[in-house]
Amino acid sequence: MVNAQSVPFTRPARESKLRAALGNLIGSPAAVVGLALVLFWIIMALGADDLLVRPDCWAASSDCTTTPLLARYDAQQSFRGQVLKPPSAEHWIGTDRQARDIWARTVYGSRIVLLLAPISVIVALLVGGSLGLMAGYFGGWVDEVVMRILDAMIGIPSILLYLVILAALGPSPLTIVLAVTVTGAPGIAKLVRSLTLDIKTRDYIAAAQTRGESPWYIMFVEILPNARGPILIDAMLRMGYAVFAMGTLGFLGLGLPPPSPDWGSIVNAGRAQLLGGHPWGALAGSIATATLVLGLNLLADGLQEQLNRYR
Amino acid sequence: MEVPVISAKNLAISYETRKGDIRAVRDVSFDIFKGETLGLVGESGCGKSTVAFGLVNYLGRNGKVASGDIVFQGESLVGKSENELRKLRGNKISMVYQDPMTSLNPVMRVGEQMNEVLTTHQNMSREDARARCITMLKRVYMPVPEAVLERYPHQISGGQQQRIVIAMALLNNPALLIMDEPTTALDVTIEAAVLDLIADLRRDIDTAILFISHNLGVVARVCERVGVMYAGELVELASVGEIFANPRHPYTQGLLRAIPRLGSDKATSMLHPIRGRVPAPSALPPGCVFEPRCDHAKPACSVNRQIMREIPDVIGSANLTALGTSKSHKVRCELAEQLDPKDFLSTGDASLMTAPLTSPEFPEMVLDVDMLRTHYRSGGNALLGAFGLGKQNNVKAVDGVSFQLPRGKSLGVVGESGSGKSTLVKTIIGLEDMTGGSARFMSFSLDKNARHRDIGLVKELQMVFQNPDATLNPAYSVGRQIERPLRRFKIVPPAEVRGEVTRLLHAVKLDDSYYDRLPRQLSGGEKQRIGIARAFAGRPDLVLADEPVSALDVSVQAAVLNLLLGIQKEHGTTMIFIAHDLSVVRFFCDYIAVMYCGQIMEIGPAEAIYSPPNHPYTESLLAAVPIPDPSIAQSRIRLDGSVPSPLNPPSGCRFHTRCPRRGLVPNNRCETDVPEWQTSGVGHRISCHIPVAQLSELK
Repeated sequence: MVNAQSVPFTRPARESKLRAALGNLIGSPAAVVGLALVLFWIIMALGADDLLVRPDCWAASSDCTTTPLLARYDAQQSFRGQVLKPPSAEHWIGTDRQARDIWARTVYGSRIVLLLAPISVIVALLVGGSLGLMAGYFGGWVDEVVMRILDAMIGIPSILLYLVILAALGPSPLTIVLAVTVTGAPGIAKLVRSLTLDIKTRDYIAAAQTRGESPWYIMFVEILPNARGPILIDAMLRMGYAVFAMGTLGFLGLGLPPPSPDWGSIVNAGRAQLLGGHPWGALAGSIATATLVLGLNLLADGLQEQLNRYR
Repeated sequence: MEVPVISAKNLAISYETRKGDIRAVRDVSFDIFKGETLGLVGESGCGKSTVAFGLVNYLGRNGKVASGDIVFQGESLVGKSENELRKLRGNKISMVYQDPMTSLNPVMRVGEQMNEVLTTHQNMSREDARARCITMLKRVYMPVPEAVLERYPHQISGGQQQRIVIAMALLNNPALLIMDEPTTALDVTIEAAVLDLIADLRRDIDTAILFISHNLGVVARVCERVGVMYAGELVELASVGEIFANPRHPYTQGLLRAIPRLGSDKATSMLHPIRGRVPAPSALPPGCVFEPRCDHAKPACSVNRQIMREIPDVIGSANLTALGTSKSHKVRCELAEQLDPKDFLSTGDASLMTAPLTSPEFPEMVLDVDMLRTHYRSGGNALLGAFGLGKQNNVKAVDGVSFQLPRGKSLGVVGESGSGKSTLVKTIIGLEDMTGGSARFMSFSLDKNARHRDIGLVKELQMVFQNPDATLNPAYSVGRQIERPLRRFKIVPPAEVRGEVTRLLHAVKLDDSYYDRLPRQLSGGEKQRIGIARAFAGRPDLVLADEPVSALDVSVQAAVLNLLLGIQKEHGTTMIFIAHDLSVVRFFCDYIAVMYCGQIMEIGPAEAIYSPPNHPYTESLLAAVPIPDPSIAQSRIRLDGSVPSPLNPPSGCRFHTRCPRRGLVPNNRCETDVPEWQTSGVGHRISCHIPVAQLSELK
């Protein structure tokens, strides 16, 4: 065939495309730092105990009570006579008032954070994304009603919303997810709505309509995949907000109930000793939160750069 | 011999990219003398604009003049400091860009913007500057220039905006004026008026003009000499008469062959696309840059780089030499003398030509549209509107359109933007809700939105869209997008879907490897082919094509038109074809409807539309078409202003506000009475107060 297509063209295979994308991500220094910070906490969370490293130990017998791997100790383990000790070779960042190892608590805390933050963001994405898609695609009164309700929710300070929800339902992981979802969904809905408004004017949407496709097919199959870039970046940033939110709740004593080692609670517990010359608890929780949020933000920046480059 | 205003000498421009330097322009040499207009034509991606930006060294951070020289009024510009160049650009070189809306600052009054040019560069007092602005606006035939100075750009129509941009460019009496596609964003009627203006100015002022356009017809109208660019090289440079009558480079010949002539139709002629596409500057062929697409290529062509050389000029013209112009004919092809320029006039392969229109006694009408109306509610508040409150204002996008279309024929719909062409098509296919009248496809009513139509009916009506970049969903592979209608309409059993997709790909002249590609890996023409394959996948009876080729380069446009014709012929599909290019419509369609402000002004067999008697609107449209042949004289009828707002259409005949023939109707009837339909020949109807007999005599 002699035609426009005689120009040779090789389609890169999927893996090499992935490698290229990763290579580009690594090309951005901000993204590398971000990725390193986030990976650090992910590895800590996964490897805190034997869960991944010695799975056979868990499966075979219960007598295999070895010391936790990366956390070194159990989060709730008290060490006799080791109350409020400064960092030492034994307790890397000291112990708290209940003689628990702060490092171990921080590492176990990362598990809670890294589990609850993504879940709450995903739930918020599902709720907010669907609402935004519907508001943007249908327009008219659907848009008006949905967006005005979400506007009203945005109007309430998020801290107040957390307080109301947690006061009403009591502290539990589920409530925390619910609180973050309720405060995050309106923002996601607004973003998705604006993307939908843009994408729905494209001809391929009209082509789908002339095939008589259902609105749901058009929204979720034709529109949503083309909005994924900005949504992904937004989700990264929101993950950071969620980590913050959970820290805030824990600090206010509204998070998970006391023995829980989540970072907010660690800071809260360490707060009283700040002036007593023992800042280690407060520092550990704060720095952990800060590094994770910073990592997520840098990663979002790096992704943004990549998307702009391909646009 | 006079010194040229600007001359490029073996100019090469390169851009730094992550993959190293890319030479976007190589070995370009030309001179432009005082008062001369040089046109640069070529497809997109051939480096026309890069040359223009290179002349003023405005190449951005990663671009630079890699070699060669630019001499402006005897001084070399290469290596000058940014400051010197800025002064030069303000004082002696002006540029006019494609879209006037983006050239003018929307938050400044026109007067302030124009004044600024003079006060910054010439230290002129505000009063003098104002006076000069007014003279300049008069010069570009701006009615009431004093009032225009007080307006903001959005209060002025597109054509007027471009006049202002041109006036601004001329304020400092530049020695060189660079115009980069100055009329591409404008409607054909407005384009004609702006081109007239440029031609007039060219006569009055002695500025050298570099005129860049992809449209050969436009270049034929305003330029004295034409340079044809291909893949970053100038391949032919000659006087305008020479280029069109005696083109020597195979690319120039190919370009001229690829465009339909006004008046040629599919029964008597055919289009010859250039195969392949423009190579990327990073992957140039080793020999002649055009060799991979050239029909005349010899084995040596793929090895030898071609050089620009002079050949004897056949046409030449005496008045050009008077201007100090060299009348040489240069071409970058060693076979130039052996190529017969008459070749490009051939009517070519007859296999695609369709039989001339024969009207059977009782043709089966597939589509019957009667007094169709589509009004949009505009303004008002959505929340109030939801409860039926608030002010309602109807945009009458389509307002009483009637026509019938026989099976297997094509109806072309033409008209300026804003005339309701697209809305008409969208209403028929069910993307917009009709507010009145009726439309029937065979025996089925089309009054429901596509979502609520029976799937059997939905399948019969499909659409081909204008913008190749938006017609395919970027998230899915080509194969998946062609599959969807096959599965949805259950055209073939699921097991055979893949085979059918392959068959469709072959039908649009693409091979199997396209199945897995993503839309961003395709060129514009390829995307448009996939769009066509998708539309024809459901084997529809009626295909609506909304400007399917207007976003494509001419060589590709020809291929896509041929493809559509072939598929239509094979399936006996009925088509409605929207286009703003009257030559394309004439070529493609059996019937033509001329729309204006939501109504049909004239409808009939294609050949009847292109010869008198005509509706005055059709007459003006025909007069405005830029014809790629400088030897043809066209009547000079120009329309002012733009299509009136469909919110508030004019009373009586909708066209009366702009009609050049209005004086022929007594008693102001045009303003008060809606004209009756007059018939002239079989199926040819005109909506005008002027009697048909009188319309046929108009010249």
